[in-house]
Amino acid sequence: MNFFVDSFFAAFRLIGTGDAELLKIVEVTLSVSSLATVFASAVGIPMGFLIAHSQVPGKRAVITVLNTLLALPTVVIGLFVYVFISRRGIFGPLDLLYSQEAMVIGQFILIVPLIAALTIAAVSRVDARYQKTARTLGANGWQTALVILREARFAISAAVISGFGRVISEIGISMMLGGNIKGFTRTMTTAMALEYDKGSFTLAVALGVVLMTLSLGINIIFNLIQGKSSR
Amino acid sequence: MSLYQLQHLQQRFAKKTVLDIDELTIEQGCIHALLGPNGAGKTTLLNILAFLESPVCGELAFQGKRVDYAKGNILSLRRQVVLVDQHPIMFSTTVRANIEFGLKIRKIDGATRNRVVDEVLETVGLARYKNARADALSGGETQRLALARALALEPQVLLCDEPTASVDAENQAVITELLRTINREQATTIVFTTHDRLQAATLAQHTLVLENGQRVNTTYENSYACTFEPTSGDKDRYLLHGVVELYLSAENRKSGQGGRGRITLNPESIRLVTDLRESPPVCSQVQGRVVMMMEEGHTIRVVVDVGVLMVVLMLADDYRQQNPAIGQQVCVAVPDSACSWTTAC
Repeated sequence: MNFFVDSFFAAFRLIGTGDAELLKIVEVTLSVSSLATVFASAVGIPMGFLIAHSQVPGKRAVITVLNTLLALPTVVIGLFVYVFISRRGIFGPLDLLYSQEAMVIGQFILIVPLIAALTIAAVSRVDARYQKTARTLGANGWQTALVILREARFAISAAVISGFGRVISEIGISMMLGGNIKGFTRTMTTAMALEYDKGSFTLAVALGVVLMTLSLGINIIFNLIQGKSSR
Repeated sequence: MSLYQLQHLQQRFAKKTVLDIDELTIEQGCIHALLGPNGAGKTTLLNILAFLESPVCGELAFQGKRVDYAKGNILSLRRQVVLVDQHPIMFSTTVRANIEFGLKIRKIDGATRNRVVDEVLETVGLARYKNARADALSGGETQRLALARALALEPQVLLCDEPTASVDAENQAVITELLRTINREQATTIVFTTHDRLQAATLAQHTLVLENGQRVNTTYENSYACTFEPTSGDKDRYLLHGVVELYLSAENRKSGQGGRGRITLNPESIRLVTDLRESPPVCSQVQGRVVMMMEEGHTIRVVVDVGVLMVVLMLADDYRQQNPAIGQQVCVAVPDSACSWTTAC
Protein backbone atom coordinates (compact mmCIF):
# COMPACT_ATOMS: atom_id res chain seq x y z
CA MET A 1 0.00 0.00 0.00
CA ASN A 2 2.88 2.32 0.90
CA PHE A 3 4.40 1.64 -2.48
CA PHE A 4 1.18 2.71 -4.18
CA VAL A 5 0.85 5.90 -2.09
CA ASP A 6 4.55 6.72 -2.58
CA SER A 7 4.12 6.34 -6.36
CA PHE A 8 1.20 8.75 -6.24
CA PHE A 9 3.11 11.40 -4.27
CA ALA A 10 6.11 11.04 -6.58
CA ALA A 11 3.82 11.34 -9.57
CA PHE A 12 2.23 14.55 -8.27
CA ARG A 13 5.71 15.95 -7.59
CA LEU A 14 6.60 15.16 -11.21
CA ILE A 15 3.52 16.96 -12.46
CA GLY A 16 4.01 19.86 -10.04
CA THR A 17 7.63 20.47 -11.06
CA GLY A 18 6.72 20.33 -14.77
CA ASP A 19 9.05 17.45 -15.64
CA ALA A 20 10.30 17.97 -19.22
CA GLU A 21 9.94 14.32 -20.24
CA LEU A 22 6.39 14.16 -18.90
CA LEU A 23 5.42 17.38 -20.69
CA LYS A 24 6.85 16.16 -23.98
CA ILE A 25 4.92 12.88 -23.73
CA VAL A 26 1.69 14.78 -23.00
CA GLU A 27 2.37 17.18 -25.89
CA VAL A 28 2.95 14.32 -28.38
CA THR A 29 -0.15 12.49 -27.16
CA LEU A 30 -2.40 15.55 -27.41
CA SER A 31 -0.98 16.54 -30.78
CA VAL A 32 -1.43 13.09 -32.38
CA SER A 33 -4.84 12.39 -30.80
CA SER A 34 -6.20 15.85 -31.64
CA LEU A 35 -5.11 15.64 -35.27
CA ALA A 36 -6.54 12.14 -35.65
CA THR A 37 -9.83 13.30 -34.08
CA VAL A 38 -10.07 16.39 -36.31
CA PHE A 39 -9.47 14.39 -39.50
CA ALA A 40 -11.76 11.56 -38.42
CA SER A 41 -14.51 14.07 -37.56
CA ALA A 42 -14.10 15.79 -40.91
CA VAL A 43 -14.71 12.45 -42.61
CA GLY A 44 -16.90 10.58 -40.10
CA ILE A 45 -19.54 13.28 -39.50
CA PRO A 46 -20.41 13.89 -43.18
CA MET A 47 -20.19 10.14 -43.81
CA GLY A 48 -22.61 9.43 -40.96
CA PHE A 49 -24.96 12.18 -42.12
CA LEU A 50 -25.00 10.93 -45.71
CA ILE A 51 -25.59 7.33 -44.66
CA ALA A 52 -28.38 8.37 -42.29
CA HIS A 53 -30.13 10.41 -44.98
CA SER A 54 -29.49 8.24 -48.00
CA GLN A 55 -32.22 5.98 -49.34
CA VAL A 56 -29.89 3.70 -51.30
CA PRO A 57 -30.21 -0.08 -51.14
CA GLY A 58 -27.58 -1.65 -48.93
CA LYS A 59 -27.74 1.11 -46.34
CA ARG A 60 -28.34 -1.37 -43.53
CA ALA A 61 -25.39 -3.45 -44.70
CA VAL A 62 -23.14 -0.36 -44.58
CA ILE A 63 -24.33 0.41 -41.04
CA THR A 64 -23.69 -3.21 -40.02
CA VAL A 65 -20.14 -3.02 -41.42
CA LEU A 66 -19.52 0.25 -39.56
CA ASN A 67 -20.80 -1.24 -36.32
CA THR A 68 -18.55 -4.26 -36.84
CA LEU A 69 -15.56 -1.97 -37.36
CA LEU A 70 -16.18 -0.49 -33.90
CA ALA A 71 -14.78 -3.71 -32.48
CA LEU A 72 -11.66 -3.64 -34.65
CA PRO A 73 -8.61 -4.25 -32.39
CA THR A 74 -5.96 -1.56 -32.52
CA VAL A 75 -3.23 -4.09 -33.25
CA VAL A 76 -5.09 -5.21 -36.39
CA ILE A 77 -5.19 -1.60 -37.59
CA GLY A 78 -1.51 -1.24 -36.67
CA LEU A 79 -0.66 -4.32 -38.69
CA PHE A 80 -2.83 -3.22 -41.61
CA VAL A 81 -1.26 0.25 -41.82
CA TYR A 82 2.21 -1.24 -41.27
CA VAL A 83 1.78 -3.35 -44.43
CA PHE A 84 1.28 -0.20 -46.45
CA ILE A 85 3.89 2.10 -44.89
CA SER A 86 6.74 -0.29 -44.12
CA ARG A 87 9.81 -0.11 -46.37
CA ARG A 88 8.38 -2.84 -48.62
CA GLY A 89 4.84 -1.34 -48.65
CA ILE A 90 3.43 0.77 -51.46
CA PHE A 91 3.80 3.90 -49.31
CA GLY A 92 7.25 2.87 -48.08
CA PRO A 93 9.07 5.66 -49.99
CA LEU A 94 7.11 8.23 -47.99
CA ASP A 95 9.08 7.14 -44.92
CA LEU A 96 6.08 7.27 -42.61
CA LEU A 97 6.83 4.31 -40.35
CA TYR A 98 7.63 5.23 -36.72
CA SER A 99 6.40 8.79 -37.20
CA GLN A 100 3.58 10.83 -35.67
CA GLU A 101 1.94 10.91 -39.13
CA ALA A 102 1.73 7.10 -39.13
CA MET A 103 0.11 7.18 -35.68
CA VAL A 104 -2.40 9.78 -36.89
CA ILE A 105 -3.29 7.58 -39.90
CA GLY A 106 -3.81 4.53 -37.68
CA GLN A 107 -5.87 6.41 -35.10
CA PHE A 108 -7.89 8.02 -37.88
CA ILE A 109 -8.83 4.55 -39.19
CA LEU A 110 -9.68 3.50 -35.64
CA ILE A 111 -12.24 6.22 -34.92
CA VAL A 112 -13.81 7.07 -38.29
CA PRO A 113 -16.28 4.15 -37.92
CA LEU A 114 -17.00 5.19 -34.33
CA ILE A 115 -17.73 8.84 -35.19
CA ALA A 116 -19.71 7.85 -38.30
CA ALA A 117 -21.81 5.27 -36.43
CA LEU A 118 -22.57 7.68 -33.57
CA THR A 119 -23.38 10.44 -36.09
CA ILE A 120 -25.84 8.12 -37.86
CA ALA A 121 -27.54 7.47 -34.52
CA ALA A 122 -27.52 11.20 -33.65
CA VAL A 123 -28.90 12.39 -37.00
CA SER A 124 -31.53 9.63 -37.18
CA ARG A 125 -32.94 10.78 -33.86
CA VAL A 126 -33.51 14.36 -35.08
CA ASP A 127 -37.22 15.01 -35.57
CA ALA A 128 -38.14 14.83 -39.28
CA ARG A 129 -40.11 18.06 -38.90
CA TYR A 130 -36.84 20.04 -38.70
CA GLN A 131 -36.05 19.02 -42.26
CA LYS A 132 -39.57 19.82 -43.47
CA THR A 133 -39.56 23.17 -41.65
CA ALA A 134 -36.18 24.20 -43.05
CA ARG A 135 -37.28 23.32 -46.58
CA THR A 136 -40.58 25.16 -46.38
CA LEU A 137 -38.76 28.23 -45.04
CA GLY A 138 -36.70 28.18 -48.22
CA ALA A 139 -33.55 26.28 -47.27
CA ASN A 140 -31.68 24.42 -49.99
CA GLY A 141 -30.20 20.96 -49.42
CA TRP A 142 -27.00 22.24 -47.86
CA GLN A 143 -28.79 24.66 -45.53
CA THR A 144 -31.23 21.92 -44.52
CA ALA A 145 -28.31 19.61 -43.71
CA LEU A 146 -26.81 22.32 -41.48
CA VAL A 147 -30.12 22.66 -39.62
CA ILE A 148 -30.20 18.92 -38.94
CA LEU A 149 -26.56 18.89 -37.84
CA ARG A 150 -27.25 21.85 -35.58
CA GLU A 151 -30.13 20.05 -33.91
CA ALA A 152 -27.92 16.99 -33.47
CA ARG A 153 -24.93 19.00 -32.29
CA PHE A 154 -24.73 17.66 -28.75
CA ALA A 155 -24.96 14.04 -29.79
CA ILE A 156 -22.37 14.69 -32.51
CA SER A 157 -20.11 16.46 -29.99
CA ALA A 158 -20.43 13.39 -27.80
CA ALA A 159 -19.38 11.27 -30.80
CA VAL A 160 -16.27 13.42 -31.31
CA ILE A 161 -15.40 13.27 -27.61
CA SER A 162 -15.85 9.50 -27.64
CA GLY A 163 -13.49 9.35 -30.61
CA PHE A 164 -10.92 11.48 -28.83
CA GLY A 165 -11.25 9.35 -25.70
CA ARG A 166 -10.70 6.23 -27.79
CA VAL A 167 -7.49 7.44 -29.46
CA ILE A 168 -5.93 9.11 -26.44
CA SER A 169 -6.17 5.86 -24.51
CA GLU A 170 -5.20 3.38 -27.25
CA ILE A 171 -1.78 1.71 -27.24
CA GLY A 172 -1.59 -0.84 -30.09
CA ILE A 173 -1.44 1.64 -32.98
CA SER A 174 0.91 4.02 -31.16
CA MET A 175 3.29 1.20 -30.31
CA MET A 176 3.27 -0.53 -33.74
CA LEU A 177 3.28 2.55 -35.98
CA GLY A 178 5.02 5.05 -33.69
CA GLY A 179 7.63 2.76 -32.18
CA ASN A 180 7.58 4.52 -28.77
CA ILE A 181 10.57 6.73 -29.64
CA LYS A 182 11.40 9.02 -26.72
CA GLY A 183 10.62 12.68 -27.38
CA PHE A 184 9.22 11.90 -30.78
CA THR A 185 6.48 9.24 -30.85
CA ARG A 186 6.25 8.31 -27.18
CA THR A 187 2.68 8.82 -25.98
CA MET A 188 1.20 8.54 -22.52
CA THR A 189 0.00 4.96 -23.03
CA THR A 190 3.21 3.67 -24.63
CA ALA A 191 5.27 5.41 -21.95
CA MET A 192 3.13 3.86 -19.23
CA ALA A 193 3.61 0.40 -20.74
CA LEU A 194 7.37 0.95 -20.94
CA GLU A 195 7.64 2.23 -17.37
CA TYR A 196 5.58 -0.73 -16.19
CA ASP A 197 7.95 -3.11 -18.00
CA LYS A 198 10.87 -1.37 -16.30
CA GLY A 199 9.20 -1.64 -12.91
CA SER A 200 9.28 2.16 -12.57
CA PHE A 201 5.80 3.18 -11.58
CA THR A 202 6.29 6.88 -10.76
CA LEU A 203 6.13 8.21 -14.33
CA ALA A 204 3.47 5.62 -15.23
CA VAL A 205 1.21 6.77 -12.40
CA ALA A 206 1.88 10.43 -13.20
CA LEU A 207 0.86 9.84 -16.81
CA GLY A 208 -2.21 7.92 -15.64
CA VAL A 209 -3.21 10.87 -13.50
CA VAL A 210 -2.70 13.31 -16.40
CA LEU A 211 -4.71 11.05 -18.73
CA MET A 212 -7.65 10.82 -16.35
CA THR A 213 -7.48 14.57 -15.62
CA LEU A 214 -7.59 15.34 -19.33
CA SER A 215 -10.62 13.06 -19.82
CA LEU A 216 -12.36 14.62 -16.84
CA GLY A 217 -11.60 18.16 -18.07
CA ILE A 218 -12.98 17.47 -21.54
CA ASN A 219 -16.15 15.96 -20.14
CA ILE A 220 -16.64 18.88 -17.73
CA ILE A 221 -16.32 21.38 -20.60
CA PHE A 222 -18.78 19.35 -22.69
CA ASN A 223 -21.30 19.21 -19.86
CA LEU A 224 -20.95 22.95 -19.26
CA ILE A 225 -21.64 23.71 -22.93
CA GLN A 226 -24.58 21.30 -22.98
CA GLY A 227 -26.00 22.70 -19.74
CA LYS A 228 -25.68 26.30 -20.91
CA SER A 229 -27.45 25.50 -24.16
CA SER A 230 -30.35 23.64 -22.59
CA ARG A 231 -31.17 26.49 -20.24
CA MET B 1 -57.24 34.75 -61.03
CA SER B 2 -56.16 31.21 -60.35
CA LEU B 3 -52.92 30.67 -58.46
CA TYR B 4 -52.79 26.87 -58.50
CA GLN B 5 -54.33 24.59 -61.06
CA LEU B 6 -54.27 20.85 -60.49
CA GLN B 7 -55.27 18.34 -63.12
CA HIS B 8 -55.48 14.57 -62.82
CA LEU B 9 -53.03 14.77 -59.93
CA GLN B 10 -52.18 11.61 -58.02
CA GLN B 11 -49.97 10.78 -55.09
CA ARG B 12 -49.15 7.26 -54.00
CA PHE B 13 -47.32 5.86 -50.99
CA ALA B 14 -46.32 2.22 -50.93
CA LYS B 15 -48.51 1.49 -53.98
CA LYS B 16 -51.55 2.99 -52.24
CA THR B 17 -53.18 6.01 -53.87
CA VAL B 18 -53.61 8.61 -51.16
CA LEU B 19 -54.57 11.52 -53.38
CA ASP B 20 -56.45 11.48 -56.66
CA ILE B 21 -57.74 14.88 -57.76
CA ASP B 22 -59.25 15.33 -61.20
CA GLU B 23 -59.34 19.09 -61.13
CA LEU B 24 -58.79 21.78 -58.56
CA THR B 25 -58.24 25.52 -58.80
CA ILE B 26 -57.05 27.72 -55.97
CA GLU B 27 -57.82 31.39 -56.41
CA GLN B 28 -55.21 34.05 -55.68
CA GLY B 29 -55.81 36.25 -52.64
CA CYS B 30 -58.57 34.05 -51.21
CA ILE B 31 -58.85 31.89 -48.12
CA HIS B 32 -59.55 28.24 -48.91
CA ALA B 33 -60.60 25.70 -46.31
CA LEU B 34 -59.76 22.06 -46.85
CA LEU B 35 -62.12 19.78 -44.99
CA GLY B 36 -62.06 16.05 -44.60
CA PRO B 37 -61.68 13.22 -42.13
CA ASN B 38 -58.29 11.93 -40.98
CA GLY B 39 -56.48 10.15 -43.80
CA ALA B 40 -58.47 11.98 -46.49
CA GLY B 41 -55.28 13.35 -48.07
CA LYS B 42 -55.39 16.92 -46.75
CA THR B 43 -51.80 17.02 -45.50
CA THR B 44 -50.53 15.29 -48.64
CA LEU B 45 -52.25 17.94 -50.75
CA LEU B 46 -50.70 20.71 -48.63
CA ASN B 47 -47.24 19.15 -49.04
CA ILE B 48 -47.71 19.15 -52.81
CA LEU B 49 -48.97 22.74 -52.80
CA ALA B 50 -45.91 23.68 -50.71
CA PHE B 51 -43.65 22.00 -53.31
CA LEU B 52 -42.30 19.69 -50.62
CA GLU B 53 -43.52 16.60 -52.45
CA SER B 54 -43.91 15.94 -56.12
CA PRO B 55 -46.98 14.02 -57.29
CA VAL B 56 -46.47 10.69 -59.02
CA CYS B 57 -48.58 11.83 -61.95
CA GLY B 58 -50.78 14.68 -63.08
CA GLU B 59 -50.12 18.31 -63.66
CA LEU B 60 -49.67 21.19 -61.25
CA ALA B 61 -49.55 24.76 -62.50
CA PHE B 62 -48.52 27.69 -60.29
CA GLN B 63 -49.18 31.26 -61.43
CA GLY B 64 -50.17 29.88 -64.83
CA LYS B 65 -46.92 28.00 -65.39
CA ARG B 66 -46.53 24.24 -65.24
CA VAL B 67 -44.41 23.29 -62.24
CA ASP B 68 -41.08 21.83 -63.25
CA TYR B 69 -39.77 19.61 -60.48
CA ALA B 70 -36.15 19.96 -61.56
CA LYS B 71 -33.92 20.75 -58.55
CA GLY B 72 -33.08 24.38 -59.29
CA ASN B 73 -36.59 25.38 -60.32
CA ILE B 74 -38.44 24.04 -57.34
CA LEU B 75 -36.44 26.03 -54.77
CA SER B 76 -37.53 29.37 -56.20
CA LEU B 77 -41.18 28.21 -56.11
CA ARG B 78 -40.82 26.87 -52.59
CA ARG B 79 -39.61 30.27 -51.44
CA GLN B 80 -42.98 31.79 -52.39
CA VAL B 81 -44.98 29.38 -50.24
CA VAL B 82 -44.75 28.55 -46.54
CA LEU B 83 -46.39 25.59 -44.84
CA VAL B 84 -47.17 25.80 -41.13
CA ASP B 85 -47.48 22.33 -39.64
CA GLN B 86 -50.22 21.15 -37.31
CA HIS B 87 -47.57 20.62 -34.65
CA PRO B 88 -44.87 23.10 -35.69
CA ILE B 89 -41.37 22.51 -34.43
CA MET B 90 -39.05 25.31 -33.40
CA PHE B 91 -35.31 25.27 -33.95
CA SER B 92 -33.59 24.91 -30.58
CA THR B 93 -32.58 28.52 -30.35
CA THR B 94 -34.25 31.85 -29.59
CA VAL B 95 -37.58 33.13 -30.89
CA ARG B 96 -35.72 35.82 -32.79
CA ALA B 97 -33.31 33.37 -34.46
CA ASN B 98 -36.23 31.18 -35.53
CA ILE B 99 -37.86 34.09 -37.34
CA GLU B 100 -34.56 35.23 -38.81
CA PHE B 101 -33.83 31.81 -40.32
CA GLY B 102 -35.77 32.28 -43.55
CA LEU B 103 -34.65 35.90 -43.84
CA LYS B 104 -30.97 34.97 -43.56
CA ILE B 105 -31.42 32.32 -46.23
CA ARG B 106 -32.83 35.02 -48.49
CA LYS B 107 -29.79 37.18 -47.66
CA ILE B 108 -31.85 40.00 -46.10
CA ASP B 109 -29.58 42.56 -44.37
CA GLY B 110 -29.37 42.81 -40.58
CA ALA B 111 -31.27 46.09 -40.15
CA THR B 112 -34.21 44.84 -42.22
CA ARG B 113 -34.19 41.54 -40.36
CA ASN B 114 -34.43 43.36 -37.03
CA ARG B 115 -37.34 45.45 -38.24
CA VAL B 116 -39.21 42.45 -39.68
CA VAL B 117 -38.68 40.38 -36.52
CA ASP B 118 -40.08 43.19 -34.36
CA GLU B 119 -43.05 43.71 -36.69
CA VAL B 120 -44.13 40.08 -36.94
CA LEU B 121 -43.68 39.46 -33.22
CA GLU B 122 -45.88 42.48 -32.57
CA THR B 123 -48.46 41.12 -35.03
CA VAL B 124 -48.72 37.75 -33.29
CA GLY B 125 -48.47 39.26 -29.80
CA LEU B 126 -45.20 37.61 -28.82
CA ALA B 127 -42.93 40.69 -28.69
CA ARG B 128 -42.04 40.03 -25.05
CA TYR B 129 -40.60 36.60 -25.97
CA LYS B 130 -38.14 37.93 -28.57
CA ASN B 131 -35.06 36.63 -26.77
CA ALA B 132 -36.68 33.65 -25.09
CA ARG B 133 -35.93 30.08 -26.12
CA ALA B 134 -38.40 29.12 -28.84
CA ASP B 135 -38.66 25.49 -27.78
CA ALA B 136 -39.85 26.53 -24.32
CA LEU B 137 -43.06 28.22 -25.50
CA SER B 138 -46.52 26.75 -24.92
CA GLY B 139 -48.49 25.02 -27.70
CA GLY B 140 -50.55 28.09 -28.59
CA GLU B 141 -47.54 30.39 -28.50
CA THR B 142 -45.58 27.95 -30.66
CA GLN B 143 -48.37 27.96 -33.23
CA ARG B 144 -48.35 31.79 -33.24
CA LEU B 145 -44.56 31.85 -33.52
CA ALA B 146 -44.75 29.44 -36.45
CA LEU B 147 -47.14 31.88 -38.12
CA ALA B 148 -44.77 34.77 -37.35
CA ARG B 149 -41.86 32.81 -38.82
CA ALA B 150 -43.89 32.31 -41.97
CA LEU B 151 -45.19 35.89 -42.13
CA ALA B 152 -41.68 37.32 -41.89
CA LEU B 153 -41.05 35.89 -45.35
CA GLU B 154 -44.12 37.62 -46.84
CA PRO B 155 -45.11 34.50 -48.76
CA GLN B 156 -47.57 34.60 -51.63
CA VAL B 157 -49.24 31.54 -50.19
CA LEU B 158 -49.63 30.49 -46.58
CA LEU B 159 -50.58 26.86 -46.04
CA CYS B 160 -51.73 25.91 -42.55
CA ASP B 161 -52.31 22.32 -41.48
CA GLU B 162 -55.03 22.40 -38.84
CA PRO B 163 -53.77 25.68 -37.34
CA THR B 164 -56.18 25.67 -34.41
CA ALA B 165 -56.52 21.94 -33.76
CA SER B 166 -54.14 21.69 -30.83
CA VAL B 167 -54.50 25.07 -29.12
CA ASP B 168 -56.85 26.45 -26.48
CA ALA B 169 -59.90 28.57 -27.25
CA GLU B 170 -58.09 31.87 -26.65
CA ASN B 171 -55.30 31.00 -29.06
CA GLN B 172 -57.83 29.65 -31.57
CA ALA B 173 -59.49 33.06 -31.72
CA VAL B 174 -56.13 34.84 -32.02
CA ILE B 175 -54.94 32.56 -34.84
CA THR B 176 -58.23 32.76 -36.74
CA GLU B 177 -58.16 36.56 -36.57
CA LEU B 178 -54.49 36.56 -37.63
CA LEU B 179 -55.25 34.53 -40.73
CA ARG B 180 -58.08 36.89 -41.62
CA THR B 181 -55.83 39.95 -41.13
CA ILE B 182 -52.96 38.50 -43.17
CA ASN B 183 -55.32 37.76 -46.04
CA ARG B 184 -56.98 41.18 -45.88
CA GLU B 185 -53.88 43.35 -45.45
CA GLN B 186 -51.28 41.45 -47.47
CA ALA B 187 -53.57 39.71 -49.97
CA THR B 188 -51.86 36.45 -49.04
CA THR B 189 -53.56 33.37 -50.41
CA ILE B 190 -54.32 31.06 -47.50
CA VAL B 191 -55.16 27.36 -47.63
CA PHE B 192 -55.90 25.72 -44.30
CA THR B 193 -57.10 22.28 -43.31
CA THR B 194 -59.64 21.79 -40.59
CA HIS B 195 -62.23 19.39 -39.24
CA ASP B 196 -64.32 22.31 -38.05
CA ARG B 197 -66.89 23.13 -40.69
CA LEU B 198 -68.00 26.19 -38.75
CA GLN B 199 -64.47 27.60 -38.79
CA ALA B 200 -64.27 26.86 -42.51
CA ALA B 201 -67.56 28.61 -43.16
CA THR B 202 -66.69 31.72 -41.16
CA LEU B 203 -63.10 32.12 -42.35
CA ALA B 204 -62.88 30.80 -45.90
CA GLN B 205 -64.32 32.08 -49.16
CA HIS B 206 -63.95 28.63 -50.69
CA THR B 207 -64.36 25.23 -49.12
CA LEU B 208 -63.02 21.99 -50.56
CA VAL B 209 -63.85 18.60 -49.15
CA LEU B 210 -61.60 15.58 -49.52
CA GLU B 211 -62.56 12.01 -48.80
CA ASN B 212 -60.37 8.99 -49.47
CA GLY B 213 -58.02 11.27 -51.39
CA GLN B 214 -60.72 12.54 -53.75
CA ARG B 215 -62.71 15.73 -53.96
CA VAL B 216 -66.32 15.21 -52.98
CA ASN B 217 -69.31 17.46 -53.31
CA THR B 218 -70.53 17.30 -49.75
CA THR B 219 -70.52 19.93 -47.07
CA TYR B 220 -68.50 17.67 -44.73
CA GLU B 221 -71.13 18.18 -42.14
CA ASN B 222 -72.74 15.23 -40.39
CA SER B 223 -70.14 12.96 -41.93
CA TYR B 224 -69.75 9.80 -39.89
CA ALA B 225 -67.76 6.59 -40.10
CA CYS B 226 -70.31 3.80 -40.03
CA THR B 227 -71.06 0.17 -40.74
CA PHE B 228 -74.14 -1.13 -42.48
CA GLU B 229 -75.77 -4.49 -42.77
CA PRO B 230 -78.69 -5.62 -44.88
CA THR B 231 -81.87 -6.66 -43.06
CA SER B 232 -84.64 -8.95 -44.17
CA GLY B 233 -86.90 -5.95 -44.89
CA ASP B 234 -86.48 -3.14 -47.40
CA LYS B 235 -84.30 -1.11 -45.03
CA ASP B 236 -80.60 -1.48 -44.19
CA ARG B 237 -79.26 -0.96 -40.70
CA TYR B 238 -76.58 1.76 -40.48
CA LEU B 239 -74.59 2.11 -37.28
CA LEU B 240 -72.95 5.54 -36.96
CA HIS B 241 -69.72 5.54 -34.91
CA GLY B 242 -70.94 2.27 -33.43
CA VAL B 243 -73.59 4.03 -31.34
CA VAL B 244 -76.39 5.56 -33.42
CA GLU B 245 -78.73 3.35 -35.43
CA LEU B 246 -80.45 4.47 -38.63
CA TYR B 247 -82.65 2.40 -40.94
CA LEU B 248 -82.38 3.63 -44.50
CA SER B 249 -83.61 2.43 -47.85
CA ALA B 250 -81.67 -0.45 -49.39
CA GLU B 251 -81.31 1.72 -52.51
CA ASN B 252 -78.49 3.58 -50.76
CA ARG B 253 -76.14 0.64 -50.73
CA LYS B 254 -74.19 -0.44 -53.73
CA SER B 255 -73.72 -4.12 -52.91
CA GLY B 256 -75.72 -6.79 -51.21
CA GLN B 257 -73.12 -7.34 -48.50
CA GLY B 258 -72.64 -5.48 -45.28
CA GLY B 259 -69.65 -3.17 -45.00
CA ARG B 260 -67.89 -0.17 -43.62
CA GLY B 261 -67.75 3.32 -44.98
CA ARG B 262 -68.80 6.87 -44.37
CA ILE B 263 -72.27 8.30 -44.42
CA THR B 264 -73.05 11.98 -44.83
CA LEU B 265 -76.39 13.44 -43.79
CA ASN B 266 -77.20 16.73 -45.51
CA PRO B 267 -77.94 19.16 -42.67
CA GLU B 268 -80.44 21.05 -44.85
CA SER B 269 -82.42 17.91 -45.67
CA ILE B 270 -82.75 16.37 -42.24
CA ARG B 271 -85.55 17.74 -40.03
CA LEU B 272 -85.77 18.63 -36.40
CA VAL B 273 -89.05 17.81 -34.62
CA THR B 274 -89.64 19.08 -31.11
CA ASP B 275 -92.97 17.33 -30.56
CA LEU B 276 -91.87 13.76 -29.96
CA ARG B 277 -95.42 12.50 -30.57
CA GLU B 278 -95.23 13.76 -34.13
CA SER B 279 -93.94 10.86 -36.19
CA PRO B 280 -92.62 11.85 -39.60
CA PRO B 281 -93.77 9.30 -42.15
CA VAL B 282 -91.30 7.10 -44.04
CA CYS B 283 -88.32 8.50 -42.19
CA SER B 284 -85.67 7.02 -40.02
CA GLN B 285 -85.39 9.04 -36.84
CA VAL B 286 -83.11 9.42 -33.85
CA GLN B 287 -83.71 11.17 -30.56
CA GLY B 288 -81.31 13.53 -28.87
CA ARG B 289 -80.82 16.73 -26.91
CA VAL B 290 -80.27 20.22 -28.33
CA VAL B 291 -76.80 21.37 -27.27
CA MET B 292 -76.15 24.46 -29.41
CA MET B 293 -78.03 26.94 -31.57
CA MET B 294 -76.61 29.67 -33.75
CA GLU B 295 -77.95 32.09 -36.35
CA GLU B 296 -76.20 31.75 -39.72
CA GLY B 297 -77.58 34.13 -42.31
CA HIS B 298 -81.11 32.99 -43.13
CA THR B 299 -80.76 29.70 -41.36
CA ILE B 300 -80.45 28.55 -37.79
CA ARG B 301 -77.80 25.96 -37.01
CA VAL B 302 -79.02 23.57 -34.35
CA VAL B 303 -76.64 20.96 -32.98
CA VAL B 304 -78.29 17.91 -31.49
CA ASP B 305 -76.48 15.30 -29.42
CA VAL B 306 -77.96 12.00 -30.59
CA GLY B 307 -74.99 9.97 -29.40
CA VAL B 308 -72.94 11.80 -31.99
CA LEU B 309 -73.29 15.51 -32.71
CA MET B 310 -75.73 16.07 -35.58
CA VAL B 311 -76.21 19.46 -37.24
CA VAL B 312 -79.62 20.53 -38.51
CA LEU B 313 -79.88 23.72 -40.58
CA MET B 314 -83.39 25.11 -40.06
CA LEU B 315 -85.05 27.83 -42.07
CA ALA B 316 -86.27 30.73 -39.93
CA ASP B 317 -89.96 29.83 -40.41
CA ASP B 318 -89.40 26.21 -39.46
CA TYR B 319 -87.34 27.32 -36.46
CA ARG B 320 -90.13 29.60 -35.22
CA GLN B 321 -92.62 26.79 -35.67
CA GLN B 322 -90.59 24.15 -33.85
CA ASN B 323 -89.05 26.61 -31.37
CA PRO B 324 -86.35 24.29 -29.95
CA ALA B 325 -84.57 25.16 -26.71
CA ILE B 326 -81.15 24.26 -25.40
CA GLY B 327 -81.36 21.00 -23.43
CA GLN B 328 -84.71 20.03 -24.96
CA GLN B 329 -85.27 16.43 -26.06
CA VAL B 330 -86.01 16.43 -29.78
CA CYS B 331 -86.23 14.06 -32.69
CA VAL B 332 -84.16 14.25 -35.87
CA ALA B 333 -85.91 12.82 -38.92
CA VAL B 334 -83.55 11.50 -41.59
CA PRO B 335 -85.12 10.94 -45.03
CA ASP B 336 -83.30 8.62 -47.41
CA SER B 337 -82.71 11.53 -49.77
CA ALA B 338 -80.56 13.30 -47.12
CA CYS B 339 -77.98 10.51 -47.06
CA SER B 340 -74.98 9.85 -49.20
CA TRP B 341 -72.75 6.88 -48.66
CA THR B 342 -69.18 6.06 -49.60
CA THR B 343 -67.62 2.65 -49.08
CA ALA B 344 -64.32 2.45 -47.24
CA CYS B 345 -61.29 1.85 -49.48
